[in-house]
Amino acid sequence: MKLLKVGVSLGITVFLIYFLNSSWNFGSPIPALGKFLNPFGGFWQNAEGKEQQSETLSLVGLKDEVLIQYDSLLIPHIFAKNDDDLYLAQGYITAKNRLWQMEFQTHAAAGRISELIGKAALDYDRTQRRRGMVFAAENSVKSMEADPTSKAIVDNYTRGINQYIESLSEDDLPIEYKLLNYRPEPWTNLKCGLLLKNMALTLNIGDKDLEMTNALKLFGKDISDLLWPDNEKIGDPIVDRTGNWKFDPIKLDSVPLALPDELITVKPLEKPAEGVGSNNWAVSGRKTNTGSPILCNDPHLSLSLPSIWYVIHLQAPGVNVMGASLPGSPTVISGFNDSIAWGVTNAQRDLVDWYKIQFKDKTKNEYLRDGQWKTSRKVIEKIVIKDGTPFYDTVTYTHQGPVVYDERFGGDNELKSYAFRWVAHDPSEEILTFYKLNRAKNHSGYMEALNHYASPAQNFVFASVSGDVAMRIQGKFPVRRQGEGKYVLDGTKTSNEWQAFIPNDQNVMYKNPARGFVSSANQYPADETYPYYITSTSYEAYRNRRINKLLSEMTDITPRDMMEMQLDNYNLKAAESVPTFLSLLDTTAFTSPQTKAYRILKVWEFENTINSEGASYYEAWWRELYALVWDEIKNSKVTLDYPTSYTTIKLIKEQPELSFFDIQETPAKETAREVIQQAFVKGVDAIEKWKTENGKDPRWADYKDTFVAHLLQGLPAFSYHVENGGNNSIINASSHRNGPSWRMVVSLEKTKLRAWGVYPGGQSGNPGSPFYNNLLNYWAKGKYYELQFEPEATKMKSVVASITLKPVAL
Amino acid sequence: MKFVIQLVVTSVVCFILQSFLPWWTMAVGAFTVAYLLGNKGLPSFAAGFIGVAILWIGMAFYIDAVTHSILTEKINRLLPINAFLATLIIGGLVGGFASLTGSLMRSK
Repeated sequence: MKLLKVGVSLGITVFLIYFLNSSWNFGSPIPALGKFLNPFGGFWQNAEGKEQQSETLSLVGLKDEVLIQYDSLLIPHIFAKNDDDLYLAQGYITAKNRLWQMEFQTHAAAGRISELIGKAALDYDRTQRRRGMVFAAENSVKSMEADPTSKAIVDNYTRGINQYIESLSEDDLPIEYKLLNYRPEPWTNLKCGLLLKNMALTLNIGDKDLEMTNALKLFGKDISDLLWPDNEKIGDPIVDRTGNWKFDPIKLDSVPLALPDELITVKPLEKPAEGVGSNNWAVSGRKTNTGSPILCNDPHLSLSLPSIWYVIHLQAPGVNVMGASLPGSPTVISGFNDSIAWGVTNAQRDLVDWYKIQFKDKTKNEYLRDGQWKTSRKVIEKIVIKDGTPFYDTVTYTHQGPVVYDERFGGDNELKSYAFRWVAHDPSEEILTFYKLNRAKNHSGYMEALNHYASPAQNFVFASVSGDVAMRIQGKFPVRRQGEGKYVLDGTKTSNEWQAFIPNDQNVMYKNPARGFVSSANQYPADETYPYYITSTSYEAYRNRRINKLLSEMTDITPRDMMEMQLDNYNLKAAESVPTFLSLLDTTAFTSPQTKAYRILKVWEFENTINSEGASYYEAWWRELYALVWDEIKNSKVTLDYPTSYTTIKLIKEQPELSFFDIQETPAKETAREVIQQAFVKGVDAIEKWKTENGKDPRWADYKDTFVAHLLQGLPAFSYHVENGGNNSIINASSHRNGPSWRMVVSLEKTKLRAWGVYPGGQSGNPGSPFYNNLLNYWAKGKYYELQFEPEATKMKSVVASITLKPVAL
Repeated sequence: MKFVIQLVVTSVVCFILQSFLPWWTMAVGAFTVAYLLGNKGLPSFAAGFIGVAILWIGMAFYIDAVTHSILTEKINRLLPINAFLATLIIGGLVGGFASLTGSLMRSK
């Protein structure tokens, strides 16, 4: 009997320990509770105070001593005596603050999220595998390692990260590891490649080839060109050198591009989120208060925590650079040094083409290429699933790239397989580019650095202390024939493929234009005399015009003016549509909420400020209108693309009788006027519903509800709702989930360069640190921090802690 | 008196073990203390439960105080019950059952 009691008690104890030492999933995931709640090693240990510890550490591989000073924002200022030590220290300190995020993002890029959270992520992982993300990263690492300079940078960066990982005990792990009950694996150069390709995926995966092929088949060329024009011909292109493109362009025989004359029935991959875009501009000294150029950049990305950017100052002989870095990649991506500043916006160009592949048989072992059967390459992707059995997916590669869609993924028919050619699959030298850009002394240094840059294509703005401003759209761009890249292509003919790339010196660029500033906001890149055909999913139509208007009018510009401009909430889209929409409304039968909405909109001055109710009514109205106008697109049996807001508004104004304005569900024949009326009624209903649900008036900040979400599916405990103005298509592009992920203003004064920056988050990736979100409210309020940029450690002010890294002999 | 001694000794031993070793070693500590001190079943369970619970909750309160509850608030939103309560229950249960096992084994 006693034995039985002992047995039962021991059994319960052992079971409890086992149960509490493992993570479970009973409908919702449960962390390993014993480990997690243990105050000696669990989540409690991740709570931090504001004070930072100064310490001295020994790192293997250092040649000399490195000093890292944290300023009051926890920005590390690294003072090294050589480049190798500099990047080793960058790797170490970045990992110390952002390890979980770095690894999670590379897992996401590689399609390995199921490993961490289970089968809910399987479709996501398969998509990443089928896009060939690892294939792209491997190619990128090959070229990184082929060049001795970039190899040394990446090797040292990786070494620094790994020494941080090795120093971690179970108790020190970032809280997300404890929540999900796993450990970081060693960092590799491939992970740096994956991180960069993840950015290429965010920025350069956009295409609508399948959708356009269907549109062409369903509606014909005239309607297709009307709804989805290559160029909306609005505002200034990024670079206008009309008649001055003095080079001999590469000419290709314009073979008729063979389009499969059929509807594409595959279920396409999720599209990149609307609202990803960016602003950058630089004004020349003759327009500024100090006589020196000012450069500004604010990349608009998904608002997430830990933040996309990590601000860092890197100093070693030959380099003194500061700005935003990407955790997981060495160097500074958007920033400034002693002599120059630069920033990036996305170039939008179409760099993805789809080919219909003709396989010999079901095995997909051979495919047709110029009349001959070629052997395909197969990659077996093993997707490990937490609490499940691994999933195996075979991805077939042709010479064009991976076959994304076939009967096992997206498609329904084994005869229909589509491969895609993506420029980000090609070898590229991002790290060498930024290494050189970080050290560039002047315009020619910037030009030389950019010659190495292939992907993701960006609009690089530039300004120098010596007084130059410039813009260059850099990337690896295929020479396209008219219409090429818009539609799915016949993959059996190599003549349909990319034949040549635009030489670097023929890319779109200029320096010191007469108007006294350069700017880009994802709009159409060049004037119509640029000799190469350009296409894209879409180009931006509003922010760019607002920016150029403001910059043209401004003189005697101060950095404060530039900050105010980055925070500009003027809604040009509304200004161009509300008066027309209101004039078309029949107000005779209005209910009282409708009358109220009408009055609010009538006096609204098109500012999307925090307290504006007009902005909310407009947004609600617009959403309903857009959905009603394009019901044909939404209800289509095959995938189609939505026309842009600009084109939609233009058609409402210019072609109100267009058949698309007829609402399919109703027997009546509607025109734009009826659609606007119906959308108004629905929009006001939506606002009334919102008011009832939320118990307050629809202030814009509340209605928009900007949400900065933790990377782990927006875990509410680690995420924040913030109050701010702005929206898509507005310079202050803060929408519900996207927005200015880094705001930077640099005044390139000869006496002393000054710079300001802020971003929605904080330098620490630890939700238990006061530095996790300390910049967030500052960002939401539109404030900036002056960045400390000193050439020497001894001149640094407000140092809160110093970390000394000492070399150890192997 | 023996009850109080077991409780205090369990706390101290588990504190030392947990400062260096994984969390579950406190079960080994609680078990050993109970075995050596030889309380009866239920008092032993209670002493182990309270001993470990006090240790865990004390440490948690200390961290919470010096970090101004920065993470406690967040974890409270994450867990279905209060983080302190969860910490107390989990630590206490494991400590309690380990102690019960220890005393039962001795009384054999």
